[in-house]
Amino acid sequence: MAQDAAGAVGARVSPQVDSLIRAAQGGDQDAFEQLVRTYDQSVLRLAMNLLRSPEDARDVYQEAFLRVYRNLHAFRFDCSFHTWLYRIVTNICLDQLRKRKVRKEESPTIETSEGPIDRMDSFEEESAHADPERSLWNLQLKQRIEIALEDLTPRERMVFELRHYQGLRLRNIGEMLGTTEEAAKNCLFRATQKMRAVLGDFT
Amino acid sequence: MTCDSILKLVPLYYYGELTPDEEERLEEHVHGCPACTLELARQRALAAALDRRQIVAATMLLEDCRSDLMAAIQGGAPRVEPSVKGAWRLFLNAMAASWNGAAGSGIARLRQPVGALALIAIGFFAARMISTTAPPSSPSNDDVYSTVRSVQPDHAGGVAISLDETRHKVVKGSMNDGNIQRLLLVAAHEDNPAVRVESVDLLRSQSGSTEVRDALLNVLSADSNAGVRLKALEGLKPLAGDSEVRKTLRRVLLTDDNVPVRMQVIDLLVANRDDNMVGVMQGLVQKENNNSVRLKLEKALRDMNASIGTF
Repeated sequence: MAQDAAGAVGARVSPQVDSLIRAAQGGDQDAFEQLVRTYDQSVLRLAMNLLRSPEDARDVYQEAFLRVYRNLHAFRFDCSFHTWLYRIVTNICLDQLRKRKVRKEESPTIETSEGPIDRMDSFEEESAHADPERSLWNLQLKQRIEIALEDLTPRERMVFELRHYQGLRLRNIGEMLGTTEEAAKNCLFRATQKMRAVLGDFT
Repeated sequence: MTCDSILKLVPLYYYGELTPDEEERLEEHVHGCPACTLELARQRALAAALDRRQIVAATMLLEDCRSDLMAAIQGGAPRVEPSVKGAWRLFLNAMAASWNGAAGSGIARLRQPVGALALIAIGFFAARMISTTAPPSSPSNDDVYSTVRSVQPDHAGGVAISLDETRHKVVKGSMNDGNIQRLLLVAAHEDNPAVRVESVDLLRSQSGSTEVRDALLNVLSADSNAGVRLKALEGLKPLAGDSEVRKTLRRVLLTDDNVPVRMQVIDLLVANRDDNMVGVMQGLVQKENNNSVRLKLEKALRDMNASIGTF
């Protein structure tokens, strides 16, 4: 299970982050830049994992941090900065996912003269295997995972992403998405059930 | 606990989301139930399969995002619509930066876009007027756009309108066609920065020609719009080892006031290490005001096994 450093930081605002926020609120550009650098890697990873497109992830990054920049003065420390930031990020990502559901576009694969390939192949962590049988198995698994994820509702997808890949607690996730911990639990359960149904042979 | 209730708790157990009490009861049940043991094993297998899918964002992408953001903030750019992408977004960002720069550096930077917009506006209205009143002898297939220079009423109740007429023409051809390339070289110096950015973008593929290389270097050194300069830099990427190109890159690194341009120049320079470069970067890192550029310089020096300070 993936864990997230910024997520852990966010659960309890460190005094360092706290002072960066206050300095940035006072107009200190360097402090704002440092604040961005504390969280931006996990924001970009979330956007990439959800949207599977570097261009869209880049748009989410820009949009999210510009909103933070414009609204930071209104941050009152009544929740953690991480939660506040992720409310913005998850809203933007959910909008994008919902638009995609409506448009039925942005498939994770693109058609080429040599058949469909994964948009994100160049970003995959794992390099091509020398063993062709293993490669084929990996390819099939990857395709099935994409199908399974496409089958989730935007909200199920988001809860799963935040819990599994970003390592956030369901209580925090509920807070970010404006819902209860119980609703987040139900979402996670539905998401895993749906995925297991599609990935049955592989797991 | 029944097997049915365990089923719902398995994912939560795996993610450590149960209370210690629930956890204990689940473990107790699973211990004596092969079906639920299998259920738990399947949950672990699913999670392991999904772990393989995790994407690691390329460092370059993160760096690009950071410089885009800082450029937008420093340039006071309006919110960039997510649907606006690629060269156009770059152009919008650069336009925003140019307009902001105009406030500090006088009217010079403002003149070009304002002049171009005014001409386009006048041209648009004049063209509408002319298209309805054009004499029958005018060529009917080509649109005519005009810039009105003066309007002078005469004593006989008439009016003399002085205008420059521009005939609209479409020239098509391959990028390998010499005429097309020459037209693009001219277009790379047009008043309208949108035309410049498109032309430079197209010329990038021809950077092997000396004429195009010189034009790109010229654009990089002299164009007032950062978006156009960034396009020229992309075109110069394959030539980053060329001594003439490196000379210009060094100068741009020291003089250009746009952060994304300086960041891009650093990338190009470090792709081909030379000792002169190390000295220039060591000198610059001491006086660079922008945090992103300074960090990038420091990283570049570390990557080249060079010390960050000069001694």
